[in-house]
Amino acid sequence: MIDVRDLVVSYGTATALDHVTLTVGRGELVALLGPNGAGKSTLANTLAGLIPPASGTVSIGGRLALIPEGRQLFPDLTVADNLALGGWRSGQRDPSPVYDLLPRLAELAGRRAGVLSGGEQQMVAFGRAMMSRPEALVVDELSLGLAPNVTADLAAHLAELNRTQGLTVLLIEQNARLAFDLCRRAYVLESGRVVTEGDCADLAGDPRVASAYLGGAIT
Amino acid sequence: MSAFLTYLLNGLAVGCAIALIASGLVVIHRVTGVVNFAQGTFAVVAGLCTSSLLGMGLPHGLSEVAAALVAALAGLLTGLAAIGRRGTTALSALIITLGVGVLAYAVEIMLWGDQPRSAPGLAGSVIVAGARIQTQHLLVIGVTAATFVLLALFFGRTYLGKALTACASNPYAARVVGIDIRLMGLLAFALGGLLGGLAGVLVTPLRPISFDTDVTLIVNGFAAAVFGALTRPVITLAGALLLGVAETMAAGYGYGSHQLEIALGLMIVVMIVQAGRRSAITQEST
Amino acid sequence: MIRLVAGLLVAAVTLALPAVLDDSALAVYILLGLAAMVTVGVSLLMGYAGQVSLGQGAFYAIGAYTAALLALGGVPPVAGLVAAPVVAAGSALVVGVPLLRLRGHHLAFATLAMQLILLSLAGQLEFTGGDIGLQAIPQFSVGSFEAGSASAYAYLTWGGVALVMLVTHNVIASRPGRALRALATSETAAASSGIPVGRYKLVVFALSAAFAGLAGGIYCFYTGYVAPGSFPVLISIQYIVMAVVGGLGTIWGAVVGATAITLLVQGLNSLAALPGMPSYAPSVLSYAVYALVLIGVVLFLPQGLLPAVAGRLSRRREPVRTR
Repeated sequence: MIDVRDLVVSYGTATALDHVTLTVGRGELVALLGPNGAGKSTLANTLAGLIPPASGTVSIGGRLALIPEGRQLFPDLTVADNLALGGWRSGQRDPSPVYDLLPRLAELAGRRAGVLSGGEQQMVAFGRAMMSRPEALVVDELSLGLAPNVTADLAAHLAELNRTQGLTVLLIEQNARLAFDLCRRAYVLESGRVVTEGDCADLAGDPRVASAYLGGAIT
Repeated sequence: MSAFLTYLLNGLAVGCAIALIASGLVVIHRVTGVVNFAQGTFAVVAGLCTSSLLGMGLPHGLSEVAAALVAALAGLLTGLAAIGRRGTTALSALIITLGVGVLAYAVEIMLWGDQPRSAPGLAGSVIVAGARIQTQHLLVIGVTAATFVLLALFFGRTYLGKALTACASNPYAARVVGIDIRLMGLLAFALGGLLGGLAGVLVTPLRPISFDTDVTLIVNGFAAAVFGALTRPVITLAGALLLGVAETMAAGYGYGSHQLEIALGLMIVVMIVQAGRRSAITQEST
Repeated sequence: MIRLVAGLLVAAVTLALPAVLDDSALAVYILLGLAAMVTVGVSLLMGYAGQVSLGQGAFYAIGAYTAALLALGGVPPVAGLVAAPVVAAGSALVVGVPLLRLRGHHLAFATLAMQLILLSLAGQLEFTGGDIGLQAIPQFSVGSFEAGSASAYAYLTWGGVALVMLVTHNVIASRPGRALRALATSETAAASSGIPVGRYKLVVFALSAAFAGLAGGIYCFYTGYVAPGSFPVLISIQYIVMAVVGGLGTIWGAVVGATAITLLVQGLNSLAALPGMPSYAPSVLSYAVYALVLIGVVLFLPQGLLPAVAGRLSRRREPVRTR
């Protein structure tokens, strides 16, 4: 579904992604871990077609939507309008399918997105991405700045969509515990390179990964 | 009293024309971040076109609409020069629109000469509460009011209008959902051209227009737009009406020779006060 | 070494030209020098302080009116010529304190407004002669020597250009000058590294005004006549075109830009004066040239003509390295 080969992305002279190769199969839930500045968001933006690759190939086998880092809503517009604009590509302007999925959004429909809480904003960003009826979803920092129960709720929705609709998910996270709970496979990105990849179970047992991302051995 | 009312209504008409120019500036600036120096040019182009089209025997209405559409096309071309090339900064774009304004001088002089031209508008006048007001003034006020209502509906109610607002609100997010922000920027320039053209069409019957009238129009329009920090249409409208009334009153009560200084001085003061407030906010937030 | 020879060559040609040019060519030569003087200041302001002034013509006018009023009041012309840049710089300091709180398009419009207000006042006030302006300004003189010929004004003008370039060179080479470089790229970064951004900006603004004032002073003695119509808004735009064409923040670039644009417009003017050309041809051609050159350079040569050519030459000299 997502197939990245030898991807190089640079900003001027600085190289943000250095020969990254990564695949996410159809219906798979894959995590991408890494510290700040590793190039995770650059990869997310490149997958969404917002940054051109310097070399290498990115092929996407279907409709892909991005939930960008920091929500990135339209703060001056209402929730309903934010959702409607999410359907810009797909032509779907009626948000009711998303209201069925996330009923809380129907209650917030008339509110301005800028005044919502972080969790509510993340839910709007989630709903807005779903408006494009994606087959693959790239989620950049789902848990950042959110309370654990809010994160768990959103993660449950992702898992549900994956199970029922076969939604492909690339979860870009700093919170490895959440990633390992949700995904089977993971990649670790550091300084623009993929340093480790494998099954989450193996990675969680890897002492280097455990000390870097789980704050010590997994319990 | 009736003199006061006459000045007030005339001033409102002048303010409405300024408001149309200013609203074009605001639309373009909101969506693209560019201050369009050629905004006055659109009005001049439309005004000169109207006088020619009417002179060629085209009927009223058709001539004015065609002239405004020519201005919209001029807006689109200006946009192509200003934001068509990737990586043009907002300040470079301002200098480019300055260049477009000067280029328009060359074209306008070639097509219409360098003498002011006028166009017939609505003839006659009506008495409103004891004050005589030209029908054309009423037309200006009416068309401006309708335009602002339509603009509000367009930006607040239509999908395309919301997409334009989205570009202004968060350009990155607009790209995330797949909106082509450069295309939206060009649309904003065309809309700005249309609004400027509308101003030109309405004003030409009131005061003759020549190729270099654009400087007066743009500084007045910018002064009004500055009231609304170049982003808020309603405050811009209020600022434009205030400016129009103040200038007309100044002229009416014998200070006419100083009306430009009053308007420009006011604009500078507003900008400096706003700059002071902005820097206070940034200092607090850091 | 090459630079020194080239510099001496340019100086020699500059000095020799007044002797060989006829009066109409000298007029172009003088106006070119005056424009170069102002453009060096505009280039300094835009390239080093990162500010666009659409009102540089105002300081040119202030210099011209100052020198003219003093000379008409019986003050020796030398004193008038010295006063022109001083008064222009003083005005820049006064208006600069509030105006330089503005940036980008706000400052551009504020400086444009400043020039429009000044022109409007000059056109209305009694002592500036209203729209008619000031006439019969005496010739420039130092002691018993009177500058009666165009070539004398050419020397005076280019002496002024040399002075302006020297001052600018010293400003750029000084420690504050290097700090100013940082200002143009990032004001916040400059401020956080302890550079007194506001004061430096004000000084550059005043300096650029002084250059314009000096040019205005020479202009009024040369033409013997000043009026609001001599300083249209377009003149300020013209300086921006020249500065952008030459390359912002380069001293020689400003002179090259002024020369290129002046000669181009002059050439087109003689073309437009050919029989069979319509009467509007001169103004149409000069507007078109200003506009197309400005747009073209901003879009395709954002560094300006001189740095672009110099860059290409040095690239040709060095072997091209591939990454």
